[in-house]
Amino acid sequence: MSIVMNVILVLSWVFIVFGMIAVFRLKNIYSRILSSTTIDTVGSLLIIISLFFAVDSFRFVVRLVMLIAFLLITNPISSHVNIRSAYLTGIPLNDPVNNHD
Amino acid sequence: MNFLLVTLIIIVVAMILSFIRLMIGPTIWDRILMLNLISIKVVLFVAVYAIHQENLLLLDIALSYGIIGFLTMTLLSKFIMTGGREK
Repeated sequence: MSIVMNVILVLSWVFIVFGMIAVFRLKNIYSRILSSTTIDTVGSLLIIISLFFAVDSFRFVVRLVMLIAFLLITNPISSHVNIRSAYLTGIPLNDPVNNHD
Repeated sequence: MNFLLVTLIIIVVAMILSFIRLMIGPTIWDRILMLNLISIKVVLFVAVYAIHQENLLLLDIALSYGIIGFLTMTLLSKFIMTGGREK
């Protein structure tokens, strides 16, 4: 049980590190939003799934399931609202000045 | 080597890097995005710390902090999109 938890935690470290590298390297704002939100969502889901193997009581499991459902619902809504706000008020999709990717 | 403690340290370092990106971000949507990342990482930090301490009440605190961060993000984006006017 503990070996499975450690393996999933190491996977989540990899996703968090690549997410932070992508946030600092990418130049366009839309690619930055896409990579950071997807990678951070996967990292948070992996961390919370790995926490299931460390608990033994039913009350912890109920809270963790509620946390996973909340993160799955609200993360896409947040990124969608942010991209819609950035698109409707100014920033073009293909910026020829700042696009070095 | 305790893996939960290493996870806590990595989450704190990622929060510090997000705050640096929040300060040097060119537009305001970068800052809102980094605010969202910091709130998600605070939720993860509190959840991992609750399992490490085996305390049940910290998971409720993580859930309520997630709700507050989501409302902050969506309401700030909508406020900037409409330019402060009602619509």
